[in-house]
Amino acid sequence: MEPEQHYEAGSEADFERLYRNTYRRIFGTLITLVRDRATAEDCAQETFERAYRNWASWRPDAPVEAWLHRIAINVAISDRRHQGLRQAGEMVRRLGRPAGGPDPALVAERSDLIAAMKKLPTKQAAALVLRHYHGYTNREIASALGVPEQTVASRLATARKHLQAVLSR
Amino acid sequence: MSDIESELEFELHRVLDPMAALPIPTRRMAQSRGPVRALMGGAGAALTLKLLTGVAVAAAAVTVAGVATTGSLNPANWGQQVTTQVANCKAQLADGQHGIGDCVSGFASQHGAAVASDARHHGNGNDATKDNGGQNSNGNANGHGKDKAKDQPPTKGQSTAPPTVDPEPVDQVPPHPPVHIPPQP
Repeated sequence: MEPEQHYEAGSEADFERLYRNTYRRIFGTLITLVRDRATAEDCAQETFERAYRNWASWRPDAPVEAWLHRIAINVAISDRRHQGLRQAGEMVRRLGRPAGGPDPALVAERSDLIAAMKKLPTKQAAALVLRHYHGYTNREIASALGVPEQTVASRLATARKHLQAVLSR
Repeated sequence: MSDIESELEFELHRVLDPMAALPIPTRRMAQSRGPVRALMGGAGAALTLKLLTGVAVAAAAVTVAGVATTGSLNPANWGQQVTTQVANCKAQLADGQHGIGDCVSGFASQHGAAVASDARHHGNGNDATKDNGGQNSNGNANGHGKDKAKDQPPTKGQSTAPPTVDPEPVDQVPPHPPVHIPPQP
């Protein structure tokens, strides 16, 4: 998790700092949850837009990154629901993207593990990435997802079991 | 830590760590989600489409109704003509005479006939040469659609010939003699 920093709710400058400090981590989470890089970028921006709208009422009773992750996971869930509507636009964007060197986001998209995680229910995949990539404790994940710790433990166990089965095929 | 957990951690870091090198894009401003984006995206788009369709249909209905009523694309024309005619009819009334109904009605009939004729010439009416089955000769020329018998088979004895100025053909067959039915006992 991001080293604890002090942010003042409602401060424009602090929100910009928060964006700079956390964008990549939020994007990293989203790329494991949604279809592709373009969607992850879109969802990351949507996450910060929603956060900005509620920035004035944010209370530092939970780590700010956990709060952002909670928003990001909700955005990802919402995106999966509306996936079909966006496919045409994504195709246009993909066709218009210039060819370049090895793109880390594309490498992520092609990973078997990431592909398997995208097929998991969003909240299970989110628990996995928060636990095993961002290093959150179960309590922090519970706070980010707004569920009891036991639920987190259960989701993690189910997700691992499912991934193990898929990846060992 | 179990094997699967270690494997997960390793793989996630291998795949996701390089993304730390990606540039951070400029933050999309919350204000940029203005009315245009709200209208063009998501549920807004569906609502906008419905709204625009509704407006288009309403506008088309008003135009068609106007044309049907006045015979002109400008609905002000007929209204202006009627106003003028009413004034004329009033002026023509002799002292002590009341009622301009016949006068205005006569004008309206002339206008209706003129519009129907014009529509026939422009092919807007129920021209018998058009593919309407050639059954309706009522000349519903300005498309009012008031003719309930339209698209229905003609009743017995109803003419199906197109309108004509020629004299009606005379039936050469002599009339049948009257049938006498004797009363029953």
